[in-house]
Amino acid sequence: MRRRAGESFLIGPDIEIEILEVGPTRVKFGITAPSSLQIVRQEVLLTREENLTASRTASGDMIERLATALSVRQKTLRG
Amino acid sequence: MPRLKAKYFGELEYLPDAEFEFPAGIPGFERETTFVFLQVPHAQPLVFMQSLRDPALCFICVPVHIVDPQYGLDLAPEDRAILDVPPEADIHIGSDALCLAIITVSENEDPTANLASPVVLSLRNRMGVQAMVRSSPDSLRHPLRAQEYPTLCS
Repeated sequence: MRRRAGESFLIGPDIEIEILEVGPTRVKFGITAPSSLQIVRQEVLLTREENLTASRTASGDMIERLATALSVRQKTLRG
Repeated sequence: MPRLKAKYFGELEYLPDAEFEFPAGIPGFERETTFVFLQVPHAQPLVFMQSLRDPALCFICVPVHIVDPQYGLDLAPEDRAILDVPPEADIHIGSDALCLAIITVSENEDPTANLASPVVLSLRNRMGVQAMVRSSPDSLRHPLRAQEYPTLCS
């Protein structure tokens, strides 16, 4: 399917996606959908999963090893 | 000085400058709108992102430039607005803003740093956002590799 700015398409009977603006690197959409549908950018979903994993797995045991390893790298960078 | 309960360090006093407001929280933790950023001498260069509301929530972070010295920050207009950075202005990490990557530690795997969604702190207005600059899964889990960080595997 190819669309121009100002044109739209439907997904099922209730969801309409309109192409509002086409820029050199970005496209702006207008989405009409039932309010029960959650619309979320993919990177927000991925970030959410990664944040949940990071918060679950963080523990005091790793702190010293992480710090030592990263400070070795920091010294290497500066040196 | 204000006090807080920190996950790894117990109750402590902190400088008000260490406190940053996240108007929308961060993805997965939308109710956590205030984080205090702590550094402790024995854990340099790590930065601890401690929730003020929930003592049990603390992310372990590292400044992005330690992981990737070439790291460039490209902020969306809505993030710039929160951080009080004009739309076209360059952001100087260190003087305008701090930029941290959250570390994920998994069993039997190298730890990884999230370079795709860095935590950016504005030194102009003490606001913070978790910016989403790249959706590549690689930079979401940038490995802190064993050969670069030998002591992680010792």
